[in-house]
Amino acid sequence: MRTGKATLALGIAAAMLMAGCSTGPSDGTVTLQMVESLTNPARTKLLKELIAEFEQKHPKIKVNLVSPPTNQADQKIQQMLQSGNGVDALEVRDTTVGPWSTNKWLYDMSKDLKGWSGWKNLTENAVHASQDVHRKTYFVPYGFYGLSLFYRTDLVEKAGFKKPPANWAELLEQAARIQNKDKRQYGYAFRGGAGAGNNVVAAIEAYVADTIDPGNGYKLIDGTSIFAAPQALDALDTYFKLFKKASPPSSVAWGYPEMVEGFSNGSTAFLLQDPEVIATVGQSKAIKKDQWSTAPLLTGPTGKAVQPLATAGWGIAKAAKHKPEALELIKFLSQGEASTTFTKENSLVPILKKASEDDFYKTGPWASYVTMTAHPDVYVAVPQPRDVPWWSEWSQKSDAEVQRVLLGKMSPKELLAGWDKYWTEKWKSGS
Amino acid sequence: MEERQLRGQPDVTLSTHQQVERPSPEGGARPARKSAGRRPRKPEFTARRGLVIAGYMAPAALFVAAFVYYPMVRGSQMAFRHWNLTDLTDTSWVGLDNFRAVLEDPAWPTILGNTALWVIASLVPQFVIGFAIALWLRRNFRFRGLYQALIFFPWAISGFLIGILFRWMFNSEFGVVNDLLQKAGLIDHPIAWLAEPRMAMLAIIVANVWYGVTFFAIMILAALQSIPDDVYEAAQLDGAGKARTLFQITIPYIRTTLALTVLLRVIWIFNFPDLIFGMTGGGPNNETHILTTWMITITQQGDYGKASALGLVVVALLLVFSVFHLMATREKATREEKGARS
Repeated sequence: MRTGKATLALGIAAAMLMAGCSTGPSDGTVTLQMVESLTNPARTKLLKELIAEFEQKHPKIKVNLVSPPTNQADQKIQQMLQSGNGVDALEVRDTTVGPWSTNKWLYDMSKDLKGWSGWKNLTENAVHASQDVHRKTYFVPYGFYGLSLFYRTDLVEKAGFKKPPANWAELLEQAARIQNKDKRQYGYAFRGGAGAGNNVVAAIEAYVADTIDPGNGYKLIDGTSIFAAPQALDALDTYFKLFKKASPPSSVAWGYPEMVEGFSNGSTAFLLQDPEVIATVGQSKAIKKDQWSTAPLLTGPTGKAVQPLATAGWGIAKAAKHKPEALELIKFLSQGEASTTFTKENSLVPILKKASEDDFYKTGPWASYVTMTAHPDVYVAVPQPRDVPWWSEWSQKSDAEVQRVLLGKMSPKELLAGWDKYWTEKWKSGS
Repeated sequence: MEERQLRGQPDVTLSTHQQVERPSPEGGARPARKSAGRRPRKPEFTARRGLVIAGYMAPAALFVAAFVYYPMVRGSQMAFRHWNLTDLTDTSWVGLDNFRAVLEDPAWPTILGNTALWVIASLVPQFVIGFAIALWLRRNFRFRGLYQALIFFPWAISGFLIGILFRWMFNSEFGVVNDLLQKAGLIDHPIAWLAEPRMAMLAIIVANVWYGVTFFAIMILAALQSIPDDVYEAAQLDGAGKARTLFQITIPYIRTTLALTVLLRVIWIFNFPDLIFGMTGGGPNNETHILTTWMITITQQGDYGKASALGLVVVALLLVFSVFHLMATREKATREEKGARS
């Protein structure tokens, strides 16, 4: 009896060990460990469906998707990468690719993807984003987060304007006219809290669009920082007036949730946000479908705007046991139906050229994205240096300093001088 | 068998002793001792007994050593190294550079002051309101159990969630706080709670008071229940008023519990970044940061070396505080005990 139990226990232990090995039994089936970062329940479900499709096409590959909660995901992935096993394919973001590749945790796919037939289907932005400055491919982007202006069609019309604002100055004019504090109607959903710095930079970039370095959104062609340009001060002048004259006073502390809520519940007439907000606003009960739309990103005085295009994609861990299989998975996710479905359902700017022909992207709130893609000379896509190691330090610094200006403890001039010094010194130190 | 013999004798005294002090191990002990008039006799200490005690303690001690002290020591070495997640290829020793970076950071004095304000301004109302609730719950009335459960409820919610809830409640435009104040006619214009540094500090402290009252209510109520009713009856017969009963019977009886709960709360409030993180994220302009939220921010920037150094500074500060607090409260208690004996 006792020996029987012991044998059983041993057997179970052995079985568990076998299951733990990713190579599995002798039939050659490979199990890939895949980790996602920007997890949300709907997206995980969709990913699992796409994976099931992939597994059907590749019967010898199984994919095990690990979905840590978003706010800890990157740290979890970091720990997994550091331990050197347990990850094959993973989600890499433009903010994580820098440190992770420096620490030699990511696999450079450029050689394996040489001659890949998929390249020609990708948009220029997608090809560009898949290579770092040394032409190494640590991830293939699955989509982009680009800014557009959400606006209230009814309020704009009521205030006597025929069109939504096309540039920052017009936005100030329209938002200020709509603002009516006594009725709790505000013009612009200002971002003063987390992420405040990003929107300030978007305004500055529009004002220096003619001389911006196409490879680095924080630099001018002459090598100096965009914050040193005289136009930057004009940009800030308009931008901070927007806060004083046309935004809720408490928006000093507004981050993503407050901005989106402010627009969705009808309190503010304008909102500058990523396309994922289209779905959220679409569910609003306070404003109906015909009361809002989106317009292209605001331009500067010379009629150009600079699209920051934040991105993320799929990559392979350097310590991965099954690189060829992981590569197959990434190719699958970056092409055809799989890619289109993923970008559509996640409200992302697509990576495939053909997607802009899709009716989905031609109509309603999405139309402004097609407009922007169709006019790359007006809406210039310039990557921001989000992959530098000091990016999160910079984000926190810039957010806090924008708040200092809003609270009247710092002048816009001081802000620009400080930011110029910060970036110039960082670039000089070489890393 | 041997064990029983060893433990047999003191067990008798211990068990009677324990009955009195059960609700709060320290709280009821001293007055009880006074009435007993003598201390329980100490059992003779032998090497064998020492081994037995060590044997009993070993599993817990090993567990704590492996899962608390070892990681702590391992982690603290980061404080003396260049340890930045953005580049782990270089983790050289840098001596006290990380500590210097913390202490020389322009934000350090403000954040230290914020931490003191956060602890004191949260603690005092929590204590007073918690005490009042405990006194009120001590009386018998209908549905007391239900009231107790309702009052203890906040303690079960995660700090981060409380932060997010209060962030919306204190939202200037859509929040319930401004709405109520305006409807009550107390303010004309909405207050920009989280947008103005001082108001934001006030808002997070209000949220923390709401959360922490519960703990004092639970602990003080437990201690109060250890005070025998006949003491109160005697006081009543002697004609003691309510205030006098409170200050000369209730408080002296539960003094040790009070001292310990205050100590615990100071440490916990000090180490309670969750609520602030959910509510203001340390803003606006970093003016609601306390040491521990600041530490998280530094961790997010990837600088584990500096964050570890700050962590050790926090440990040192709390250690110094604990020693002083314990010395001060113990001195008072022993002095009184001596006074009572002589």
